Amino acid sequence: MASQELRTHAIDMSSVLRAKGNQKEHNETCIKIENLNLFYGDKQALHNINMEMPKKKVTAYIGPSGCGKSTLLRCINRMNDLVDSARIDGKILLDNENINDKAVNVAALRRRVGMVFQKPNPFPKSVFENVAYGLRIQGINGKRILEETVENALRGAALWDEVKDRINDNALGLSGGQQQRLVIARAIAIEPEVLLLDEPASALDPISTLKIEELINELKEKYTIIIVTHNMQQAARVSDYTAFMYMGELVEMGTTSQLFTNPGKKQTEDYITGRYG
Amino acid sequence: MNRNSRYAANYLFTAVVWSAVIICCALLCFLLSTIIWNGVYALSFKFLLSPASGFGANGGIIYQITGSILLIAVTAIISLPIALGVAIYKSEFLKSCRLQRLSNLLIYGLNGVPSVIFGIFGLIFFVNLLGAGISWFAGAIILAIMILPTIVLSTYQAINSIPTIYRESAQALGLDTWQIITRVLLPQGLDGAITGLLIGLARAIGETAPIMFVATAFSGVDIPDSLNGPITTLPTHILALAKQATDAQALQNAWGAGLVLLCLVMLLGFAALMGRIRLKTRWQ
Repeated sequence: MASQELRTHAIDMSSVLRAKGNQKEHNETCIKIENLNLFYGDKQALHNINMEMPKKKVTAYIGPSGCGKSTLLRCINRMNDLVDSARIDGKILLDNENINDKAVNVAALRRRVGMVFQKPNPFPKSVFENVAYGLRIQGINGKRILEETVENALRGAALWDEVKDRINDNALGLSGGQQQRLVIARAIAIEPEVLLLDEPASALDPISTLKIEELINELKEKYTIIIVTHNMQQAARVSDYTAFMYMGELVEMGTTSQLFTNPGKKQTEDYITGRYG
Repeated sequence: MNRNSRYAANYLFTAVVWSAVIICCALLCFLLSTIIWNGVYALSFKFLLSPASGFGANGGIIYQITGSILLIAVTAIISLPIALGVAIYKSEFLKSCRLQRLSNLLIYGLNGVPSVIFGIFGLIFFVNLLGAGISWFAGAIILAIMILPTIVLSTYQAINSIPTIYRESAQALGLDTWQIITRVLLPQGLDGAITGLLIGLARAIGETAPIMFVATAFSGVDIPDSLNGPITTLPTHILALAKQATDAQALQNAWGAGLVLLCLVMLLGFAALMGRIRLKTRWQ
């Protein structure tokens, strides 16, 4: 029984990957990471990371727990600034501009690089106010423009039809999956260039997960997306590129079809075939 | 231990806990009923609405009520912004563990200072050093300092109980530190601050020692028309009346003033309780 299920998964994945392999590649780099090291106190959490993420594609970070994939993701909008013991050196270039530069306005950077967390976390306010939140703090208060942007963001997050009749209800009354799409709507309402998704579906049921994955496929038309995931099938389904990390190092990065069907390193192969992790 | 002795120990423990509760409740009931029983005879509209005369033995307590309310209102206005600032600094900016421990020591230390020490401090600082004379405003400042720790701790706990994830998502939406303080932390911390403020004021309104040397006079006082000049309050009035306890009328008025003060304290305490209940249900 169990082995049969596994086999079905394997077949699913390979057909998905074959389809991806046929895509033609023409890529412009959105984010380039150069010689990035990160320390928590004396402990080094990221070792000399070098990678490039192409524009309007989905890049997945995979790897066992504690390998540094979330830490790396949080470098891209400088969320690690909040951790006092964290020290970073190296460059992260967003459209050729080093975001680790002292002159960079962190709040402005985070408006360009939106983030969605593992646990859905709407504010204890109405659905409308949640999505309008990022606009209001920028001083945009016009009723017309707010209503228009909120509707567009909710449509963009595939949530509009489900919430349009209770737009003024408290957002905490939505289901977990709806809350997570609401948080995505909140993030895209301020029109970022990049979306960072930190295990966005790991707290959700399978149907909500499916909806989020479909949504990611639509969102990459407009945004560069980086997703951290524990779930290798998910990485295979939603991403164009995959980076495999282990113990704070980038082991291998490539197109998703190449990494899953023909990994360049033994360590990668062992991980994706389930020998450890 | 065999089963029977475990049951016995269990019963014994339950009995001890229950008797502690009963002793507490009985004491409270005794106090309240004594004050209500004796005070209710003094109460009348005339007593509540007319000024005292003959050192309080005759007349009412209108200026004592207005004085107490004015004093704690100004105390609230002085202490609330300072407490909010301290609480935000402590929770958002004070990162070092050692300084965090030092700040706790200072806050709990200030909380533990006996109230008469505040009174002596006020006398030396405002009256002797600054030469302010008797000033009700100096009394409000002293009370504000006295209740500061209560408000700071309550605000700090409210701000600290905001889940990190909300701070992070606010940051991820591009809010800067100032916006996070004003839009996320303060709205949440305010409930805690108000709760702490009400508890602090409930304590302040009943205090005699911190203000008796600096801010109050026992007779011939009405509503002050400047920041200087004395005020009269319910607790200091009760003290003055208790000193004339041989006069039956004065004693009766003391009970009446005590009952009014008790009602004000319970009002503040009840409001604080409501605030706390609201606070608890906020982030669920």
